[in-house]
Amino acid sequence: MQTQPSAIGISSPMQHSQRSTGRLMLLVIAACIPGVATATWYFGFGVLINIMLAASMAIILEACALKLRGRDMRQHLSDNSALVTAVLFGIAIPPGASWWLVAMGIFFAIVIAKHIYGGLGQNLFNPAMCGYVLLLLSFPVEMTSWHIPNDALVDGSSFSAFSLAGLRQSLLLSMPVFGSAQMSSPDSIDGLAMATPLIEFKMAGTGALLAAWDAGVSLFSRDSGAAWELVNMGYLCGGLFLIYKRIISWHIPCAIIATVTMMSMLFYAPDSSAVYGTPYLHLFGSATMIGAFFIATDPVSAATTVRGKIYYGIIIGLAIYGIRVWGSYLDSIAFAVLLGNFCAPALDYLCRPRIYGHGKKSRSVPTTEVEP
Amino acid sequence: MRLVNRLLGRRSDRAPYAIFGGIAADAYKTRSLRSRLMPVPIPKQLVLPLSQNLGVDAVAIVEAGDLVQKFQLLAEADEPGSVALHAPTSGLVSSISNATVADEFGSQRLCIHLQSDGEDRAIEIVPEADYRALDHLQLLERIERAGICGLGGAGFPSAQKLSLGMKSGIDLLIINAVECEPFISADEALIRERGASVVVGAEILKSACLASNCIIVLQEDRADAIEALKKALENSSIELMTLAAGYPVGGEKQIIQAVTGMEVPSHAYPASIGVLVFNAGTAYAVYKAIADGEPCVSRITTLTGAPLQTPKNFETLIGTSVSFLFDLCGIDTTRHTGTIVGGSLMGIQLLTLDVPVMKTSNCLIAMSAAEFPPDEPELACIRCGFCAEACPARLLPQQLYAFSRAHDHEQNLAHGLFDCIECGACAYVCPSHIPLVQYYRSSKAEIRAQQRRQLQSQHWQRQFQQHQYRIKKQQDEAPHQISGDAVGPVKDDEPAKKNRSREDGDKTEAAVFSRERAKREIAEAVARVRARKAGHIASPRTDAESDG
Repeated sequence: MQTQPSAIGISSPMQHSQRSTGRLMLLVIAACIPGVATATWYFGFGVLINIMLAASMAIILEACALKLRGRDMRQHLSDNSALVTAVLFGIAIPPGASWWLVAMGIFFAIVIAKHIYGGLGQNLFNPAMCGYVLLLLSFPVEMTSWHIPNDALVDGSSFSAFSLAGLRQSLLLSMPVFGSAQMSSPDSIDGLAMATPLIEFKMAGTGALLAAWDAGVSLFSRDSGAAWELVNMGYLCGGLFLIYKRIISWHIPCAIIATVTMMSMLFYAPDSSAVYGTPYLHLFGSATMIGAFFIATDPVSAATTVRGKIYYGIIIGLAIYGIRVWGSYLDSIAFAVLLGNFCAPALDYLCRPRIYGHGKKSRSVPTTEVEP
Repeated sequence: MRLVNRLLGRRSDRAPYAIFGGIAADAYKTRSLRSRLMPVPIPKQLVLPLSQNLGVDAVAIVEAGDLVQKFQLLAEADEPGSVALHAPTSGLVSSISNATVADEFGSQRLCIHLQSDGEDRAIEIVPEADYRALDHLQLLERIERAGICGLGGAGFPSAQKLSLGMKSGIDLLIINAVECEPFISADEALIRERGASVVVGAEILKSACLASNCIIVLQEDRADAIEALKKALENSSIELMTLAAGYPVGGEKQIIQAVTGMEVPSHAYPASIGVLVFNAGTAYAVYKAIADGEPCVSRITTLTGAPLQTPKNFETLIGTSVSFLFDLCGIDTTRHTGTIVGGSLMGIQLLTLDVPVMKTSNCLIAMSAAEFPPDEPELACIRCGFCAEACPARLLPQQLYAFSRAHDHEQNLAHGLFDCIECGACAYVCPSHIPLVQYYRSSKAEIRAQQRRQLQSQHWQRQFQQHQYRIKKQQDEAPHQISGDAVGPVKDDEPAKKNRSREDGDKTEAAVFSRERAKREIAEAVARVRARKAGHIASPRTDAESDG
């Protein structure tokens, strides 16, 4: 047998598991499907159009950036990380956002927040959230208006969002270039601001909304309360799937959800007119689930030690609640996650696990680690 | 359950503890266990590296052209780390010269080349009917004489390990038959067929290190071996423990953690916490050395891999070449893409098949493209943390990787790089196919080189300071000769002090002068050395002349 020179210097281990980064990323995208599908069902094609637009732009920008950085394009595109960034970004921005909004955000996410920092693995901050926050700060009005096709909101016309008319409306919202004539007429598109129930809650106070909330969920009613509730259920299912597949660990989502729940339980006052909502509203009436399972768990920018992950989750949970309730911004996942990203390197450094054979435990019987 | 027991202040006896991390890799063990343990026919040529653990060479006591008999001592151990070497069969020592040995670089080591005569004549050996008649020092001496080293892979001389352990006192002797690495089945085959001998070997080891307890540890999925052991252990004080399958639960530090719940302190031997670990194969070699009086000239080696038609466990003579063994198993050369000695996770890939089996070679894997696909390209680390979950030392491989890439060795040391046992669990699970172990190895080598350089520079600095001190002393003792010329005339009283103050006062002048002075001193020193050398060379001659 002749040994080829390439075999020289091969280091153990010679056996490998079948997991690959590209596959992991695809599974993350797959886990988004229930949430995205529900969102599309309620909010129309705008959601999907956002994702498609973001994904195609992300791949083009990623390819360009790799080319400019002199990296092997096919090899690095196969990690599918740009795709995940695009999907999360597309989910985050309101349906019906203009194409240039998407383009600007995704450019900032992929090129500035990721590649300028040295590419995948080197970025300190979650790229999708960087893009989102840039848009939120620069275009607050556009970023908080959830444009939904007209028909989607009419009770009883349950399938109209999927009709060709609905699709056309959504397309026009995204790319007004193709139909500037219609755009001028205000009737064709309902520029309804329909944010999350939590935002409505914050804007409207308790009153009517709580009553509607108490009336329970009606699957096809298409009111935003039910919609968000189900969308969050979708992301929860996707997130549990990721934990089951051991792609993400339970520590970060659990810490976030537990913290948000604790905080909202602590401050909830049923009769007060203040903005503190019920724990349920905080968990399922906003973007908490997608934030906890999909955004905060981006491994590159999150803490990676076990204890670090828990503290990271707690910090994000506190920030989510704090910004929502006492801050000026309506929803707070992006800021909270970026705040967590700031803390992650320090958390990793401070929360290093005790190495085998080090410290006072090395002679005594080790006890199972007590997590905070 | 264990937690409940601990809360109640009791612990179910001999329930294993959990180790940190670990992975579940495909084992590929059954194929080599289908047939019985087989002796290997004596090959025509045996190559015996003087160092069986690729450490310190033993000293050859035979010469090229000598006829030797089986079990005859060929090389003796004279330094710590070396083990004695015996002739596996009778024949002619054709030469003592360099040959390629089984390491990843294909390096050349000094080897005894033995041409077998096929007669297998043995020198007289003395079996010991009852090892209990011997005290522990006698046992130790015989184990040392038999040239036994750790047959599990590391190859540390067993007698040295025993005497090291005796210094600190041993509570527990662990016989490691866990064999957690994929593909290897040598210990399982050994215990299945010769369990009773392994048990006797363990008892001998126990009395050799004066341990109070002994325990044999296996993975719970080795049904045949466990059954054989249970039978062998019926009238023995040795206990049996089974561990859940997983890798690397059979690593020395991990098995200690699993059995005792204790951790070996960093940079210390297990003996420091009163534990010794021996491989089951070593126990068998000890049995043969004491009970049969046979030195270690063979071992059990697993031959496996998809290209082999009949994978099996062989009782192989040390020095048999790998290609000879592969031919015995019927190798399909078209499918054969490479060879690993050791397991698939910690083994090393051979560059050539013409290397001898050593005392540490527990497994030879013929690789195929299906089982060992070519390495996928390395992608960026996404810090998924799978590696940290798998690490049995509880390190943060993702951080060590980043520090290794940045050559930030200070951080590497702070994050415990040298606590890495290179088990490869991190690289096994890495979804980005990063050869993490390779990064750590090269970082370790860099740090060692750095430390060597530092020591060296410290050494030279010390030398320089001593040199300076000598000059100073010379100056102080003889101010007229040196400083007098250099700095100009000085008064006889307090010459050194004057000289110093003068130099301090006029540094530039002193510097100019001192350069000239240095030149002159160098010239003088050279002349002195020459004169001394000439004297040295001359002196024996004059002696001889005077004698004659």
